[in-house]
Formats: sequence, C-alpha cells, structure tokens
Amino acid sequence: MFDLFSDIFTYRDNALARIDPRAKLAIALAALVAVVTAERIVLPLCVFGLCLGTVVGLRIPAKLIAVRLAAPLSIVAVLVVLQTFLTGATPIFAFTLAGWEFTAKAEGLRQGMLLGARVLGAVSVVFLLSVVTPAHRIFQALRWFRLSRNWLEIAVLMYRYIFVLMESAADLAAAQKLRLGYTTKGRALRSFTALAGATIVHSLEQAERTHNAMRLRGYRGVMPFGPLPALGRRDRMILAFCLAGIASARLLEWGAGR
Amino acid sequence: MIMHRRKKSARIRRVAAVIATAGILTALPAPAFAMHISEGILPAPWALFWYAVALPFVAWGLRDLRRRSEELLWFKPFVSLVGAAVFLISCMPIPVPTAGTCSHPAGTGLAAILIGPGLTVVVASIALTLQALFLAHGGLTTLGANIVSMGVAGAYVGYGAYLVARHLGLPWAVAAFLAGLLSDWATYAMTSLELAAALHGDGSFSAMLSLILLAFVPTQLPLGILEGFICAGALKFVRSRKPELIRATAAGGAA
Repeated sequence: MFDLFSDIFTYRDNALARIDPRAKLAIALAALVAVVTAERIVLPLCVFGLCLGTVVGLRIPAKLIAVRLAAPLSIVAVLVVLQTFLTGATPIFAFTLAGWEFTAKAEGLRQGMLLGARVLGAVSVVFLLSVVTPAHRIFQALRWFRLSRNWLEIAVLMYRYIFVLMESAADLAAAQKLRLGYTTKGRALRSFTALAGATIVHSLEQAERTHNAMRLRGYRGVMPFGPLPALGRRDRMILAFCLAGIASARLLEWGAGR
Repeated sequence: MIMHRRKKSARIRRVAAVIATAGILTALPAPAFAMHISEGILPAPWALFWYAVALPFVAWGLRDLRRRSEELLWFKPFVSLVGAAVFLISCMPIPVPTAGTCSHPAGTGLAAILIGPGLTVVVASIALTLQALFLAHGGLTTLGANIVSMGVAGAYVGYGAYLVARHLGLPWAVAAFLAGLLSDWATYAMTSLELAAALHGDGSFSAMLSLILLAFVPTQLPLGILEGFICAGALKFVRSRKPELIRATAAGGAA
C-alpha cells in the first residue's frame, strides 16, 4: 500500500521529472481531453502505448505497473462484455449457455472497445504524471492555476498524514493479528472496527499535536504556498510542442472519421 | 406469438447478461475497486455535467470550512486528520463473504457523522483526487461524477439517516449503523445511475440501470451491512476512549 500510494519514484532524476509541474499538468489535461473525446480506438491506444512505454523506460517496478493497471483492465473487460451483449443491432455471433441465448452485436463491440481504449489511454496519462511529479509539486501547480487555497491546504495535510496514520494502523493491525484478532469472522469484524476507531482517535490526537507544532512555527490560519517562478524557455517549448502534437493527433483522428 | 417470443428472448438475454456481469465483477482480483467510475469511462458531456453538479456542493463545503476555521484555528488540521483517517479506513480491504473477494468501505457515513456532510464532500473530493492520481482508482475526468456519488450522495444520505434515526429516539449505535449502511448503498445507487445514464447508448436506460444495480448486489449488499457495523463499531470505540473528542465533532450534539 505504501509503495503503491507514495510518490517515492517521482524523486528520481530524469528528463520528465525536471519539467515544470504546470507544464506537465497542462499537457496531461490536454491528453485526457483528447482521449476522452476520441471517436476511434487508435488515438487512445497510441497514448496508452506511449505512456506505458515511458513508464517502463523510467524503470518503474513491473509489480507497481501491474497493480495500478489491474483495476482499469478489469473494468475494460466488463465494459466490452456489457456493451457487446447489451447494445447495438447487428448480430455477429450467438451462442446458448445453460438455456440462455447470448447475441454479440457489432455496434456494441465497437462501442465497448472504444470505451475500453479510452479508459486505458486516460489511466496511463495520469499514471505517467504521477510517477514523474511529486505530490507537493502538483499541489503547488494547482495553486498557481488558482485552485482554492483552503482545498489545497487540506489536501497537503491529508496527503502528509495519511502516511503517518498508515504506519500506526499497520502496527495496530499486526498486533491484532498476533493476538489472533482475525481468526473468526466475528472476531475479525470486531478487530476491524476497533482498528478503524483507533485510527480515528489517533488522528484526532495527532491533529492537536500538529496544530500546536504549526502554531509554534507561526501558523495563523493560512498555510503559505511557495511561489513558482515564471515558466522557463525550455518548459514553454516543451509545452507548446506537446500541445501542438496532441491537437494535431486529435484533428487527424477527427479528419479520418469524416 | 412472435412478439411474445421476442419479449421472452430479450428478458432471457437481460437475465443472462446480469448473471454474466455479476460473475465477472465478483471474479475481479482483490481488492475490488468497483466503488469509483474509472478514468475515461464517461463521455466528455457527461463528465462536464457531473462536474457542474458537484461544484456547488464543494463550494458550499469550502465556505463552511472557511467560516469555521476563522473561528477555530485548529479546525483545518482537525478536518485534514479526520479526512486522512477516513481515507485510510476506506483503503482497508474487508472480505465480502458472498462474493468471495475483498472490497473496501466508503467511509463517508462515518466522516459525515464526525465532521458534517458539507466538509465530507470537501474531504471526499480530495481523497478521490489523491486516489485518481496515485492509485489509478477513479479518475480526473470522472472526478465530478465520483464526488457526486461518494461525497454528495454518500455523505448527505448517511448524515440524514443518522439525524432522522436520532430524532426518532433510536440509540446512537443503531443510528450510526444506518448511516454507514445507507451511505454505502446510496453511493452505489448513484454510481449505477451515472454509469447507466452515460453508457446505455441506443439501449434502454432503465434496463441498463437495473442491470448495473443488480451486478453490484453480490458485493454491495453485504458490504453495506459490514460498513454499517464498522461505522457503529468505530464510533463506539471513539466514544469509549475519547468521549471529549466526539463533543467537538458534527455529531457532538446527537451522538
């Protein structure tokens, strides 16, 4: 869970990590819009291949990639099946299973595959963004884009304290297991609710300590966000090149569909 | 006669599809991340529509946060830490006996009791953003829809159930159980509605909605009940260990 959720891989030095977070966010959002509005599977699949190839090239552990993609891949499978058998009119094939008739339809299969490709493309864009940009840099960039200061303050504190609470919850869960807290279903439920309650209590105590520490460091109700310098020439060029590339790809796809 | 056969055949197809979908959903690897709509599923107009629905609720929650943090300087760290705890609880896998898989509680019912529904929407929006960015769970394009289902529907239904149950004189443990149970089911009902609205295509909306709702039943029916027990159990633990803390929360007056 820690490795899966943490941004430890973003601290590796590479060309993508060095790009300004505002440029990366803008590129990622443009890519997401292009993928979600795509009318054919080619563009989303190209984005998926490009992002996945980059993630592999950055030497992100295969296990992390597999875990992060497991849920979206399962959803893709369900979507293709649902759309194939529930929507459309032109039958492709039919079969009977245990007395029930299944008819796959061409339009449904096409729609299911498009939806699946969009999911893969969009998930891979966000995955790539998250392995080359630390969380605090993303929040800093979001502040630059004028996102609510209060929302970002809560987000920064939440992200920081999730890991603190995670460690204490893991210790508690290990202690419960050692004391045979999960041997029967009833015991497991009692242990789990105690674990949840203890995590809440711990969080409230930690909140008091955190507030005192923040007050000692001059906190007066507003957390400062470090200013970001103006976009450098290199970042501006990368941003312009990537946005032009995404727009061209989307226009090409739109033209091919007409 | 032919019409009757066609209707029967369509009904059989729907039932078969329900069973097939339920089978696929329950066979997913643990933990089953069925709670949030994945990145890229919603077409752009629907994604924008759900953002438009979610934004006023988030703005309302932020207004509440600003007002209360001006009065109480410790309020922002308090909300953040409760949010972090609820986020963590919502990531803990719990086995769902009927499905044979693991799923996870939503935690919005518990959060709504502790910090109120308005702030729960804010915390849920942050949790969903973090999950989309770092867990590939949910998504940035589907964030609006997920905020509406988990934050808005889950928090307001859970908090409403808690208040109504307390108003009716039910014990706080029963009220907390109902809050957990109904917030979980409301989240899934809303998620089903969002998916059916976006994905029914040229097919029937009601058929798609009932299909998705039925597909969620094997995991979400028992999970909702488990969530009710977890909500009541966690609140009981907090009340017994730190009763003074519960007085500072949204449920302070009622719990």
